[in-house]
Amino acid sequence: MNEEKISESELTIPIERSIQAELLLLLGQRPSHGYELIQRLNEVDFKSGEADAATVYRNLRRMDKEGLIKSHWEVGESGPGRRLYKLTFQGEASLKVWAKYIAQQKAKLENFLQAYFQFEESLPEKKDGVNLT
Amino acid sequence: MICSQKGLRIIYAGALQQVMEKCLEHFSLQNSGLKFEMKGVGSREGAERLLSGEKYDIIALADQALFAELLVPELVGKYFVFAADQIVIAYNHSSRGSQEITQENWVDILLKPQVSFARSDHHLVPRGYRTLMVWQLAEKFYDRPGLNSTMQAACMPYSTYPKSLDLSSALFKGNVDYAFLYSSEAKQLGLPYIVLPSKINLSNPAYANFYDQASVKVESKIPGKSVIIHGNPIEFAVGLAKDSQHPELAQSFVDLLTGSEGSSILEECGLISC
Repeated sequence: MNEEKISESELTIPIERSIQAELLLLLGQRPSHGYELIQRLNEVDFKSGEADAATVYRNLRRMDKEGLIKSHWEVGESGPGRRLYKLTFQGEASLKVWAKYIAQQKAKLENFLQAYFQFEESLPEKKDGVNLT
Repeated sequence: MICSQKGLRIIYAGALQQVMEKCLEHFSLQNSGLKFEMKGVGSREGAERLLSGEKYDIIALADQALFAELLVPELVGKYFVFAADQIVIAYNHSSRGSQEITQENWVDILLKPQVSFARSDHHLVPRGYRTLMVWQLAEKFYDRPGLNSTMQAACMPYSTYPKSLDLSSALFKGNVDYAFLYSSEAKQLGLPYIVLPSKINLSNPAYANFYDQASVKVESKIPGKSVIIHGNPIEFAVGLAKDSQHPELAQSFVDLLTGSEGSSILEECGLISC
C-alpha cells in the first residue's frame, strides 16, 4: 500500500478505532510487549481515553492477524516470556493513512471553530444570559 | 504428529480448569495415543507440590510472580505470560441486593447485615490475596478509612470456600450472595457480576504502581514463616519443568496454549489472551 493508493473510503475510519493508530505509532517508536504498551499508552498526551488491558490486547491480536504488526515470544534472561510486537511495512503505511485522516479531521475541526467564533462575535451582547435586543 | 505411550503431567490453577480441558482436547486430536495426567490445584499449592518433589512437565499458575518467587531457576526454566484477568463481584439472581448493586454502591450493599459475601483463602490461591488487595485499594480509592478491616470482618471466613471451585459452586447454589472471583470464572458460569473500577480491580498495567501499595502476608514454603505479596496486574503464566520427561511434547502443548488456538480458547473462556 502507498499513499497514492489511499482511497476516500479509507479516510473515513471511525474515530473509536483510533486506539489502533495510537498503538501503531507507539510500536513505530519502538517494539514493545502488551504490558508495556498499555503503560505507555496511558502516559502519552494523545491518548483518546483510558486504555484498558482487554481493548489493547484485542486490538493487538486483530492488527497481528491483519499484518499491520507482527509478534513473537521473547524470553527474558530474568522474568517471564512475553509476546513482543513490532510494526510491519503494512503497518507503517496504515499509520500514514491514519495521520492523513487525523490531519483532515483537525482541519475540519479548526474550520468549525473558526465559523463558531465568527458566529459568536456576531451575537448581540448579553447580560446575565438575557438577550438585550 | 507426536505419539507417546508415556504420560504428560500437567498441574494448573483451578481457575484454568476449562482452558486446560479445551487445550487438551485440541492437543489430543493432534497427538494420537497421548496419555496425560491433569491436576487442578490452588496456585501456591501447585508451586509447593513441585518444591516438595512431585514431578510435572507443565505448570500453569494464576500469578506469574509465583514462578520467580518459588520455581525459577531451580525447577522451571522458561515461563510465559499468556493471559490476563480482573477481580469482579459475582452474584446470582437470588442474591440479596442484586437488583440495586452497582459499581458505585457495592461496598454499602455488601456491608448490609443481611447480605453474605465470601472470598478464597489467601494462603492457597492468588484470588484470595488479590481480593484482600482489592479491599485495601478500595479504601484508598473511595477514601474510606478502615474499609479493608470492615470488609474482612464482614466477610465469611475464608476457610469456608477456600478454593476456586468451592467458592463459585457455593455462589451458583445460592449458599452465598456475592463472591470475589475472576471475571472469566463468572463468565464461564454464566453468573452476573459487577465490574470494579480499573484502579482497584488489578486489571490495568497502567496502575501497577498504585496496585503495588497493597500488600498481603501469606504463609511461605517454610513452616512458620510468611512472605509479603504486593499487588500487581493479574497475569497467568505457564512454565516448562526443567526435569520434564517429555520436553518436546510439553513444549508443543505450551505452543498450543500460547498460539492462535490457545488465544481462541482463552477468549471462549472469558480470559484476555496476552
